[in-house]
Amino acid sequence: MFERRLYHYVDWPLLGAVYLLCAIGVVMIYSASGGARLYLTQLAAIGLGTIALLVCLGIDYRSLADRSHLIYGAIVLMLVYVLVFGVVRGGGRRWISLPLFNLQPSEFMKFGLALVLARLFGDSRNRTPSGRDLAIGGALTALPLLLIARQPDLGTAATLVPVLLGAAFVAGMRLKVAGILLALAVVASPVVWTVGLQDYQRGRVLTFVDPSRDPLGAGYQQIQARITVGAGGLLGKGFMKGTQGQQGFLPVAHNDFIFSVLAEEHGFVGVLAVLGLYAFIVLRTIETARLARDRLGTLLVVGALASFTFQVFYNVSMSAGLAPVKGLTLPLMSYGGSSVIATLAGIGLILNVRMRRFTN
Amino acid sequence: MAGPSLVDRRTTAARLTALSVTVVAVFCALAVAFWYFQVIENATYLRMAENNHLRRLSLRAPRGVMFDRDGTLLVENRDAFTISILRENSANLDQTIQRLSAAAGVDEQQVRDTIRRHRGEPSYRPIVVIDDATLSQVSAVLARRLDHELPGVVVERVPARRYPSVGLGAHVLGYVGEVGETQMAAEGLRSGSLVGQSGVEKTYNALLMGADGERRVMVNSVGREITTLDELPASEGRRVKLTIDYALQQAAEEAFHGLGYEGAAVILDPRSGEVLALVSLPAYDPNDFAAGIDRATWSQLNTDRLRPLQNRAIQGRYSPGSTFKAVVAVAALEEGVITPDFTVTCRGGATFYGRFFKCHLKGGHGTVDLRHAIEKSCNTYFYTIGNMVGVDRLNKWATLLGLAGRTGIDLPNESESLVPSTAWKLARTGEKWYAGETISVSIGQGQVSVTPLSLASMYAAVANGGVHYPPHLLKAVDDGGGWKDADPQAPRGVRLKPETVSALHDGLWMVVNGAGTGGRARVAGRDVSGKTGTAQVISIQGAKQAAGRTEMDLRDHGWFAFFAPRDNPEIAGVIFAEHGEHGSNAAPIARHVIETYFAKKAGIKPYPVFVAPAVAAAPAAVPPRTPPGAADR
Repeated sequence: MFERRLYHYVDWPLLGAVYLLCAIGVVMIYSASGGARLYLTQLAAIGLGTIALLVCLGIDYRSLADRSHLIYGAIVLMLVYVLVFGVVRGGGRRWISLPLFNLQPSEFMKFGLALVLARLFGDSRNRTPSGRDLAIGGALTALPLLLIARQPDLGTAATLVPVLLGAAFVAGMRLKVAGILLALAVVASPVVWTVGLQDYQRGRVLTFVDPSRDPLGAGYQQIQARITVGAGGLLGKGFMKGTQGQQGFLPVAHNDFIFSVLAEEHGFVGVLAVLGLYAFIVLRTIETARLARDRLGTLLVVGALASFTFQVFYNVSMSAGLAPVKGLTLPLMSYGGSSVIATLAGIGLILNVRMRRFTN
Repeated sequence: MAGPSLVDRRTTAARLTALSVTVVAVFCALAVAFWYFQVIENATYLRMAENNHLRRLSLRAPRGVMFDRDGTLLVENRDAFTISILRENSANLDQTIQRLSAAAGVDEQQVRDTIRRHRGEPSYRPIVVIDDATLSQVSAVLARRLDHELPGVVVERVPARRYPSVGLGAHVLGYVGEVGETQMAAEGLRSGSLVGQSGVEKTYNALLMGADGERRVMVNSVGREITTLDELPASEGRRVKLTIDYALQQAAEEAFHGLGYEGAAVILDPRSGEVLALVSLPAYDPNDFAAGIDRATWSQLNTDRLRPLQNRAIQGRYSPGSTFKAVVAVAALEEGVITPDFTVTCRGGATFYGRFFKCHLKGGHGTVDLRHAIEKSCNTYFYTIGNMVGVDRLNKWATLLGLAGRTGIDLPNESESLVPSTAWKLARTGEKWYAGETISVSIGQGQVSVTPLSLASMYAAVANGGVHYPPHLLKAVDDGGGWKDADPQAPRGVRLKPETVSALHDGLWMVVNGAGTGGRARVAGRDVSGKTGTAQVISIQGAKQAAGRTEMDLRDHGWFAFFAPRDNPEIAGVIFAEHGEHGSNAAPIARHVIETYFAKKAGIKPYPVFVAPAVAAAPAAVPPRTPPGAADR
């Protein structure tokens, strides 16, 4: 399966950037958790993620696409399983209990969805996806989205939307249709606001607009995040010297707010370096999409990239108090086994497409 | 079918380019935002971060220790514990209040009220919700896992006042309490500071308070201290020595209790104006205030009909009765209106301006000169000479002797003593003075109303031959380099003519040692000189006030003003026995004080024990009483 010559086509710079970010993440987790053993768990997850990456890299993406409906179906079944038997933690039923760690199937759904959508839009002979294609794509997205939202985990559910939008956009969806969908979304939002959201969710949004509304609750995190970032200055306070992250003013610092910890301890310079690495990965991946041998490959890369990019943007904004606080991890850096493993698996898919751009 | 069409490839490429552009734009926007927060606004956020984890804790300075003139400890400090809430670290304040109240067994509403009172303060400043917590409260709180169950609850050890001689000299020492809003602003004090609210604690607050220290600590997100960064220790307030003689203070209060009287006493050293004892009864226990008084005790002290918070010695005003005759005698002699040999014949009273004024002795004193008039307290004699002197000259000499106005003692809220004059009446009522009014004034009735302190000061002046010193309580201050005596008081008054002094001293000596009313103050070999007086209660108040009062309420007050020995007096003072009926009932208290004074001077220990005279009209079981309204005017 893995021909030796393909070794030369592995995108080493991308891989380097990915592991560099993982390493920075481990260091920041070490700092944010005050030297606790969490970083060891993270290292183990990176190891497992590397195996997942190699698996995703090894199997030709076209074979994977051929079985995309099976992969998609399996993950959906896991989501259903989670809803019934899942482990409850932190107010959500998200995890499947495994011997080593808890598995969060929703993290893998993004790539399952990317596969099935790439197959759907890539197979289409038309230049632009037909209305029927879009409807099927919408349904394929909506099903897991609703299942994840039921957990409830709106953050992760929301990451599925960019997958659909990205794939449809690059597949050539007419802009007029995109415009209509956007208009529909705007019209529907008040309905979602009143019917679709729980009180606490509405509260979070309101608090984002006005953090002083709840300075000790959700607004507290937002204010503290901004303080953490702002206190970093140009060069930062130094490794393990950030008072905000070290003394618990910033909640879940090692997880959702790892970027704030970085900003505090390594300053604007550290922020620029990490943002640069992420920008490099994203742009390099778009390049991969351009270079892909076929339409399937292009769309697969775009789908895999879309949720990744969305999460980076959202989490970094949130880290500076620029977005409502949501349980969305920063891919590659945040503490969390499922997130790391799923992200590395996705990177594997991207490398897979690039590596096989010359094969038949 | 493989391969997209050519057109398709172009569209895809264009859209990928659009994505790239968007991604670059977003990354740039994020970089700019971080630049703004981290570089431009860095100082602001750095300060906010510091406020988060740097806590400036005030270290309360122990107040200065106070001693009596011989170094007996009057006020010291003890360790107390306060329990405070740091709102900033208490995410769920409501729950914290509930749990804390339950754990410490305090009224939840009261805790809420306290928090509400301080709600305007920055949330990182701890609000004391339990002053002077008991050890069981402290351990109940500390037993909880503070980070989780009681976040933001802080237990601190602070110095609090301790008054070892519970209640003794309460009104001299005063009490401390939390600083009020206006005082806080005026003196730049920190909210929650304890300051003197009364007594010398208040007068010398600046000396006693010391300077609070500060400790900068690093805290975590639930307000728990991690490390101390630096500490500026509190500096203790100055040590203060008062002029009070603990033995005399104790003797005076003991005698009051022995007779069952409330009232006041002021004992002075006429040679310097030093206050040796100052009593006001009933008293309160200043310990109750030491770390913040609880509501129940406070409202009880305020609603008590006997008004224990009032310092009767400097705030109560009563008519001086016959003790005022000393002023009349001085005025008449000094103005040259009479000589000591001037005689009046008393037939049980006399008529002035068409009205008959009674003497207390129905049959009359016969023909008396000044010395005997003082000895017998003959009203007719003093009506006569008072009338000859006139009210304005009485006022002049009362003022010169320090009776009128305020003495200027170093205690807060001294009342002004009043000796009327024609100008005073005109200004006050717009009416002219009637000569007939002078007759009542001559025996210390009518409009005359004085504090026990000013009367004592006046007798010190008489003892001293006219020159006197403002009464004061500060003896010495330890400014860190040992005791430094307070500046001596400037003398006031005038030197009286020798024949005035000798006639007056003779008369006052005879009151005690002759056939007068002060026999109960006699101390063998000490030549006690003094004068009894009676402050009428019922005649001043009128019958309407009598309603609802017990017989005891309506009894007259008894005065005894004295000095000893007659020649070169060393001690002077006034005893005011509330509802004591007559001055002779106050005299035993004076005797006990004088005996104690001389026993102490001679180094005889133990000091004499107070023995109530067998015939003293000591009311054994007394129904609740109320001081007369006259006292408050």
